[in-house]
Amino acid sequence: MLKFYRTLSVISATFLVVMAAFLMPAAAAEKKGGTMVMIVQPEPPTLASYLSTSGPIGQVAAKIYDGLLEYDMNLKPQPSLAESWELAADGKTLTFKLRKDVVFHDGKPLTSADVQFSIMKVAKVTHPRGPNTFRSVTSVETPDPYTVVLKLDKPAPYMMMAFSGYETPILPKHIFSKGNLRAHPNANKPIGSGPFKFTEWKRGAYIRLDKNENYWKKGQPYLDRIVARFIADPSTRTAALEKGEAHFAAMGAVPFNDAKRLSANPNITITTKGHEMISPVAEILLNTRRAPLNNVSVRKAIAYAIDRKFVIDNIWFGYGKPATGPMSSNFAPSGLYTDKVTQYQVPDGIARANKLLDDAGFKKKADGFRFELKHDSLPYGQEWTRFGEYFAQAMGKIGIKVVIRQEDVARWLKRVYTDNDFDTTANYLYNLSDPVVGVHRAISAKAIQKGRVFSNGSGWSNKRVDELFDKATVEPDLAKRGEYYAEALKIAADNIPIIWTHEMNFPTAINKKFKDVIVSPLGVYSNFDRVYTE
Amino acid sequence: MQSGRLLKYIAIRLLQAVPVIFGVIVLCFLLLQLAPGDLATVLAGESGGASEAYIAELQKRYGLDKPVLVQLGYYIKNIMMFDLGFSFRYSANISDLLAERMLATLLLMGSTLVLSLGLGVLAGLLASLWVGTWKDHVISIVAIIAYATPLFWVGLMLILAFSIKFDWFPTSGMEDVVQFYEGWDRVVDIARHLVLPAITLSLFYLALYARLMRATMLEQRGLDYVTTARAKGLNERQITVRHVLRNALLPFVTMAGVQIGGLLGGSVVVESVFAWPGIGQLAFEALFSRDYNLLLGIFLISAILVVIINLVVDVIYVLLDPRIRVGS
Repeated sequence: MLKFYRTLSVISATFLVVMAAFLMPAAAAEKKGGTMVMIVQPEPPTLASYLSTSGPIGQVAAKIYDGLLEYDMNLKPQPSLAESWELAADGKTLTFKLRKDVVFHDGKPLTSADVQFSIMKVAKVTHPRGPNTFRSVTSVETPDPYTVVLKLDKPAPYMMMAFSGYETPILPKHIFSKGNLRAHPNANKPIGSGPFKFTEWKRGAYIRLDKNENYWKKGQPYLDRIVARFIADPSTRTAALEKGEAHFAAMGAVPFNDAKRLSANPNITITTKGHEMISPVAEILLNTRRAPLNNVSVRKAIAYAIDRKFVIDNIWFGYGKPATGPMSSNFAPSGLYTDKVTQYQVPDGIARANKLLDDAGFKKKADGFRFELKHDSLPYGQEWTRFGEYFAQAMGKIGIKVVIRQEDVARWLKRVYTDNDFDTTANYLYNLSDPVVGVHRAISAKAIQKGRVFSNGSGWSNKRVDELFDKATVEPDLAKRGEYYAEALKIAADNIPIIWTHEMNFPTAINKKFKDVIVSPLGVYSNFDRVYTE
Repeated sequence: MQSGRLLKYIAIRLLQAVPVIFGVIVLCFLLLQLAPGDLATVLAGESGGASEAYIAELQKRYGLDKPVLVQLGYYIKNIMMFDLGFSFRYSANISDLLAERMLATLLLMGSTLVLSLGLGVLAGLLASLWVGTWKDHVISIVAIIAYATPLFWVGLMLILAFSIKFDWFPTSGMEDVVQFYEGWDRVVDIARHLVLPAITLSLFYLALYARLMRATMLEQRGLDYVTTARAKGLNERQITVRHVLRNALLPFVTMAGVQIGGLLGGSVVVESVFAWPGIGQLAFEALFSRDYNLLLGIFLISAILVVIINLVVDVIYVLLDPRIRVGS
């Protein structure tokens, strides 16, 4: 019996040792070190993510500036600089408790004064989206260095999604409150509290970020360094990824036509995750101020004549999903999205379109065409040129002659959003963290403003939709918001001022040496503090 | 006597350069005004949306709301004080931006010039010596192919072959951003990065020089002084090196002057294929973002460069060929 116990103890001891041997490497020890080279395209003009939401800026700056909150893959807020938060029952007081062990890269502690400054003086003033996001915030109170109280004049439930380091970076007040915030010497020498600190920017070549040794998450970040490289030529980007010179590329830095080839490479993974809080929806924008596009039958006919599956499979190499309206189905889990609207992706689309046009009095003339439209291709890369060509072809099938015009970005922006001098064009809008931020601007009357880019370009609006949007903006109950949006989306689809073609999926290329790269719905716009190499 | 006249000549040419450069600035400035859209709209566009007030504020900040002539006046005044201005898009001084990028461009241009001139002259010389043989044909055919192939395609093929397939050279960039070498290792590293872009950018001019060299050599060989030299009893080697080659070199000075101007343009393509951080890419980005201050700065530097190179070419003429006199 004694022998049995002895044997048992030997066995269990061995078991423990073996278990420990298995568990040890998994615990942090092996995760340390390494440099990750990410391709950022194009080169960011500045690193001032509090002034501009230009994509490349956020891809780099989000590693330097942390926010009050992070978000998990289900878009649930998670603690970051704020360890807890509480929304009052009336939705008008939001209290954050800050961590006490956070310091900026220059060694100064992060306190409630920095948060107050970052919201009231920065986000509400200089940020392109901030004034809209924080419009209900009347004041930010700082009862003690680690408590922040936001006072609102009406509830703003969508605001809870805007506290990431990408959307609302927390800036050190002692640095950015001095001098002109719009032309600040630290714009391109950023000082934040994030896992990586800025080291060097060699224009045209790279930005180097080094590990923040004093990061509040003990032992993190795992990487020693992140280098953002700029490679203008798409084929060279693919080559650099294939050769392992670069390890990561996202948001259009991976050419769609090379994604397949890259995914066949044994060292590279291609994923479409990490866009859940970005959710771009591609569209054909119709100028409803002009005849014949002011005629809803014409707009419906155009919507019926577009084969969304063809577009996704042949132009975007399969990266996408047919859209039903301005809202992405990424909002389905929160109950805000509905697909119970008029469907334009039907097998007999061409026949329906022809009938609609005939009935509306646009008969085919002797040359086989009913009327002519000018289409401005979106100058954002070759997919959009193809998309314009496809649109012209598809319209030809229903007797609409389309002439394509190709201009550069500055001219295109002015033509569409300042002069409104276009018939049709293509575009894509980010849905972002909440419909209030990303969807309303496309079709609400308030967003018809000359010169305001990426707003309501079609010129169409509807009183009922505006009413519903206003209600959804202040409604804290998700189910109720869902009802408002269901009705608004239905009206939008019936009037179809914009033909929402597909939800875009961007391929992200990751070298398999690197793990836990995409762990946030913000994907490349997150801070990469959990990335490690094996 | 000759050197005194030469100095005077250089001084006059430099004075003449001032109105030329002034003209370039005014012309470029006015031309840029014709392009629709401005920096403020592009900046707002990059931000993914901004309010009317925000854009108006940007325009005011960059002085875009002032009349064109007032803007031009400001610009010229600043240039006089050697102030190239500030790039709002990059939040940086334009002189700093240019200095940062100029080095990379000069490195690429310099090695390209040496490579294309050296190999081009050699290939042309060999072809002329072997005229009519299969070797001459091979050189001529290769030269024509190199002359006709688009730069970006050559660049990509070189990357595919020598970087991906054989793994001899890096695909792109100017230095290794994982290692960040220092000292001599850095020099070697940059040299390795330089090889493919320099070859790509050289090919076109290399071919041009080879063809030019071959033609001039053949032409010179039939001239009377060659017969005289042969009658003096010189051997073919001495005739080629001392007499024919020297006379054949003159057109190259002209061509090299033209090439340097062309290199600035050609380098836009090569710089973007190889992600070489030079002026060409900067100009391209500045144009598309309507960063006129920056673009004007680049134009100014290019104009100065071209004027100086023309002067240098003229001076080299005098040194190479004693028959050419200056200032007469």
